[in-house]
Amino acid sequence: MTLLAALFSHYRRHPLQLLALAAMIVLATMLWTGVHHLTSQARASLDQSESAVAERQQVIRADGEPVSVQDFVTLRRAGLCVMPWLEVASSGAGRVVGVDPLAAACFERADQGNAPWRGELDGAPFVDISEAAELAEAQDPPAGALSLLISGTDSDASLPPGYRLAAFSLGPDTGELGESFLLNLDALGVLVLLITALLLRSVYLLGLAQRRESFVLLRRFGVPRNRISRLLVLEIMVLALVCIVPGVWLGRWLATGLGSGFGRALEGLFDMPLYAGRDGGWLVPVATMLAVVLVACLADYLRPLARRLAVAGPSQGLLPALFLLAGIALSVWAPALVWLFVAVAMVFVAAGILAPLLIARLADWRAGHESDPLSRWRQREVSVLARRLALPLVALQFAMAMVLAVQALVTTFESTFDQWLAQRLEADYYIEVPEGADAGAALAWLAEQPALKASGRWHRVIRGEAALTNSFGKQGPVVDVFALSPIGPLVTGWQLFESVDTPWQSLAEGSGVMVNEQLARRRSVAIGDMLSLQLGQQVSERPVLAIYPDYGRPAGEILIHASALPPDFRVSFQSLSISPGTMSIEAISRNLKQIWGVEQLTVRDNRAIEALASAIFDQTFLLTRAMTILTLILAAIALLMMGWVLFSTRAWYFRLLVVWGLPRRQAAAQLTRLALSLTTAIALLALPLGVWLTWVLVHRINPLAFGWSLPMAVYPRFWLELGVLSLLVGLSIALLMRRQLNSPASAPESASALSGGER
Amino acid sequence: MVEPVLVARGLKKQFRSGNQPVSVLSDLSLRLDRGESLALTGRSGSGKSTVLNILCGLEPPDAGRVEVLGEVFDSRTPEREHQTEARWAKLRRQQIGVVFQEANLMPALSLLDNVRLRARLAGQDDDDCRDWLERLGIGELAGRYPDQVSGGQRQRAALAMAFAMNPALILADEPTGSLDRQTAEAVTRQLFELQARHGCSLILATHDTELATRCSHHLDLGHQPGS
Repeated sequence: MTLLAALFSHYRRHPLQLLALAAMIVLATMLWTGVHHLTSQARASLDQSESAVAERQQVIRADGEPVSVQDFVTLRRAGLCVMPWLEVASSGAGRVVGVDPLAAACFERADQGNAPWRGELDGAPFVDISEAAELAEAQDPPAGALSLLISGTDSDASLPPGYRLAAFSLGPDTGELGESFLLNLDALGVLVLLITALLLRSVYLLGLAQRRESFVLLRRFGVPRNRISRLLVLEIMVLALVCIVPGVWLGRWLATGLGSGFGRALEGLFDMPLYAGRDGGWLVPVATMLAVVLVACLADYLRPLARRLAVAGPSQGLLPALFLLAGIALSVWAPALVWLFVAVAMVFVAAGILAPLLIARLADWRAGHESDPLSRWRQREVSVLARRLALPLVALQFAMAMVLAVQALVTTFESTFDQWLAQRLEADYYIEVPEGADAGAALAWLAEQPALKASGRWHRVIRGEAALTNSFGKQGPVVDVFALSPIGPLVTGWQLFESVDTPWQSLAEGSGVMVNEQLARRRSVAIGDMLSLQLGQQVSERPVLAIYPDYGRPAGEILIHASALPPDFRVSFQSLSISPGTMSIEAISRNLKQIWGVEQLTVRDNRAIEALASAIFDQTFLLTRAMTILTLILAAIALLMMGWVLFSTRAWYFRLLVVWGLPRRQAAAQLTRLALSLTTAIALLALPLGVWLTWVLVHRINPLAFGWSLPMAVYPRFWLELGVLSLLVGLSIALLMRRQLNSPASAPESASALSGGER
Repeated sequence: MVEPVLVARGLKKQFRSGNQPVSVLSDLSLRLDRGESLALTGRSGSGKSTVLNILCGLEPPDAGRVEVLGEVFDSRTPEREHQTEARWAKLRRQQIGVVFQEANLMPALSLLDNVRLRARLAGQDDDDCRDWLERLGIGELAGRYPDQVSGGQRQRAALAMAFAMNPALILADEPTGSLDRQTAEAVTRQLFELQARHGCSLILATHDTELATRCSHHLDLGHQPGS
């Protein structure tokens, strides 16, 4: 029999133990692959959707007339790479976009593959332009909006006379908000990888614990310790290779299952198949998991270093405690994201070292103050198990902290986002003012309409840019301008972070500006401060009336009354927001077309946009919750399995209590109290870590990454739920162990087993 | 007439080895009076430990009747399992001291705390626990943990635990099996001295035929299982 066969013989005798190890590797791999796959898919999907809706350039006629096929021919003959984009609203097929594949090829080259239809040209709703044209002709009256997209490298100067460039947008941009969530998903992925590594390390140690007596015997037979270690690493690598493949497959299956809903939501929002549900590679998950297994197994070689670093005796926890404090301090003062992630790593590592130590110390202290020998024994057992189950306990602590933070983040995000979106989309409809149209005439007409006059639920939005200037009048950073008029109930209900007494009235009088949170944070702007602005050529100082939340993007922005804009202010975009009330939107649209002399108007239904945007985020929130809860379940299962195996090594001592006359029920009750003490203690220690992580996510990572923060909220209901879960895990361990109490357990086989690890 | 501490009649026990039933005990009967000692000898697998387990209620016999200190346990008398378990538990807690070959101590407790725990479970005052360790010559080791003392010292602590509960019957399963000859002799001497001084009965399972001769009775369970 070879040495490897001798080592493996343990599992031939105890196949369930091998099965447990294999199951742990499969589950850990499944979890990480699932999160990784989901994050990659979500990122690819959002990238694709952003790419599709990103503001592109189109060529329009300078005279305001819609472009035609003749214009396309003129532009192509002038050597410009333009692509026709024919959008047809069809009752049967929804919105269909016809593109010209030949023109698309030139467009794609010029735009370096950043074309909106990337990889999706063969599927609905993108069709060949001839098909779209037929569909448009078939309608009565013929309908279809032709746009001519031009690659981003061209400028106004390269256009023939009579044409100019304009922005081309397909829909609402939710990209920045999505990025924020993806960042959190990435952080979740890193934490899950950490938890996975802890679980795999537990599995490896479990394998060692199960076969300790075999190792002792082999060493007595003269087999060097290093050779045994090498064979064990080989064994775990082979086991990992066998288990990682089904784990990766299961993880991808899980992510695909969960992700299809996300895909549907994206398709609903952007009217096109966008979810990047294609098969990703196997290499990254397999290689990552193998690396994690290797690190988990080879961590033993770091032990001498760790021992040298650790201070022995009562001050054993001093170094991790200092590390923890340093991590917390760094999280408060970190100037950049990278330092913040370092701080998170420091706090987690320190908390992971300190938690089992703290439980053990506390249990030892309580044992020292117990007068009842049985209680003293139980406390000592808690101390022993806290140290021996350190890794799965810490994995559970991390998972609980992560669930707490993610649940709080998601719930806060959900409520904040819903509220904010509802405020921003308060009007029922949004109408784009065509390029070159006289918005003033439209405003005069709208102001005369009795229904709108009575409700006041409409306003005009002017977009452009302003420069912040310093006290010497020197131009500083550029900020977005969001100008409104008239100020009415569509905006006066907005939630403001801080404001003067009557902010909207002051804004309506043109006596100040409001700033978004991003600008306030970056420029340290407070209420009442004077903001020096250059609007057009005019430089003026205006007081800050309020700071408002603006979750969609990182850019700084000022909100100003339209009447305060100077005549030379360069307008980049104008729109009208209207809640028509008793008027019909068709009537408003018809009259506006007449006033502006145009055939087409872009009118968007804000309710539909709100519903679809909410659907995307609801699905993302659901995914995030599902993945964190899955992590928690896995960590709980790991603790259960480790607890089961390690409690088995203690089963004899519970049986000794029965031998000494303690009824089995009472011995089982001791076991239950012990298991519950452990899981409750770890849940209690997870609580502050989770609250801290929530704070880091909402108050530190988001502001540093995107310039805006979310309100910090704690949800005690989650705490209770985790408390119940920890009780369930403890009770499950106790239930599993009760079976062992009822069957005869053998005593430790040799006195050498009492080597100190038992206490 | 001396009252018997223990009477067993017609004890039978079978185990399964694969698909084959192996009879370990077939119709075993014995009686032990107060202050007497009985040595159970026999080769490995002859059923010595099984007999001890049956006599303290840790394992039920397939058939037979056991009477310990007036408590009767008869396989033919129907009784709820938890009631039987409760009667046996009370006997073990207060009347029967059990000493195994090793692992008699809780590793997370000091020697003194182990003795205290055993005494408290028996409902005894734990004031004398340190004295018991002194009497067995390990008083100065009272604060040590089991892994910090030798095998012989651990077995002495196990004896201290058994006697601290003031038992009527002691069941010792190869109590010196893992000790060297000299230490084993010392531990055995202390065991018999304490048994004689306290007048309790003793059943000793052992391979050692010389040791068996020091008991007042000797029962050889035979060379082959089932004999």
